[in-house]
Amino acid sequence: MTVVALTAAVLLLQGPADSQAPADGKAPPKGAPKGGKGKGKARPTGPTPRMADGKPDFSGIWNGGGPIGDIAQGLMPGEEISLTPWSKKIMDTRLTKDDPEANCLPTGVPRIAPYPWRILQTQTHIFYLFEGNIHSFRQIFIDGRPHLKDPDPTWYGDSIGTWDGDTLVVDTIGFNDKFWFDFSGHPHSEQLHTIERITRPDLGGLDIETQIIDPIAYTKPFKIKFTATLRPGEELMEYICQENQQDAQHLQGPAGPPR
Amino acid sequence: MSAKALILAASLGALMTVPMLAHHSFGSEYDEKKPLKFENVTVTKLEWTNPHARFYVDVKDEKGKVTNWNFELASPNVLKRNGWTKNTLKEGDKVTVLGTAAKDGTSLGHAQTVISDGKRLFAGSNTADGN
Repeated sequence: MTVVALTAAVLLLQGPADSQAPADGKAPPKGAPKGGKGKGKARPTGPTPRMADGKPDFSGIWNGGGPIGDIAQGLMPGEEISLTPWSKKIMDTRLTKDDPEANCLPTGVPRIAPYPWRILQTQTHIFYLFEGNIHSFRQIFIDGRPHLKDPDPTWYGDSIGTWDGDTLVVDTIGFNDKFWFDFSGHPHSEQLHTIERITRPDLGGLDIETQIIDPIAYTKPFKIKFTATLRPGEELMEYICQENQQDAQHLQGPAGPPR
Repeated sequence: MSAKALILAASLGALMTVPMLAHHSFGSEYDEKKPLKFENVTVTKLEWTNPHARFYVDVKDEKGKVTNWNFELASPNVLKRNGWTKNTLKEGDKVTVLGTAAKDGTSLGHAQTVISDGKRLFAGSNTADGN
């Protein structure tokens, strides 16, 4: 489904996501300092946009917000990654050519590809629309429903969001074990459980703290934090990774962070 | 390509020293110790495709043997955001390519800069902060 079609479908189902401030930053509130454009690296400034019910509105085009090279780059103070023998063996044998992302498969959670992505928020759903790698979407239900019972394992899992003040707490289960957390190849099992605490403290940033819980792969849970930056004035473009993928066959050596 | 876009593209060339990221690990495919420079070579084909745009050039060695090299560019979206269009490079263009050779020894390279009609075009994949 195209972004336009998905957007239209959501609007038909839910009505427009009303905002008191322009969540995408295209027209900052009067008097608010102007932020940088997408390619200017400055973080746009301004107040937190809000929905009609007063909850923060995370809508907008974002860049970053999750691990790319190595998940350890986002470790919060005092946190550490402690592999089980099961996951250490997997990491030690992973080859970069087998990275699902290099083979045009989704990043899963919490990994982010180095391409823009859009959040589309309604009163009941939040959609992450990814431009790149792959051109797909993740959905978070914020309508009060419980998790699926015995969900099928999927790339983005079954995500349920609840509000804790201005923080959206997203609880996700039902992952498959196919995606990697990063170029380094940090693994996980189907028992992966993530708890994300997402805040938009101002117009230009989205702070995403993620607790990784997976007793098969890690001896203890750990927390990471990454910040996405708003790209005002940007639009998503089509990106069909499978169209002319020639890289995987040329990738050499063990998995590892970018060099 | 407009003059503004060319200036933008040229200025982005300064980002070349930043580790480049795409949908795969750059350093796993290309060897930074193998820089390439092909001068005044002819573009034989352009593929305006994902995950990377590509162009092919015929390169003649000292013995006169011609090899067709495959050069990876950034994705079309990244190139467009950096001022390129699908017509910036086309078959028959004479270009100079600055890039990096693949680790596996095939006639594959990653183009960081393309000099076309005397203008330097930044061509690389996403930088660490995602464009």
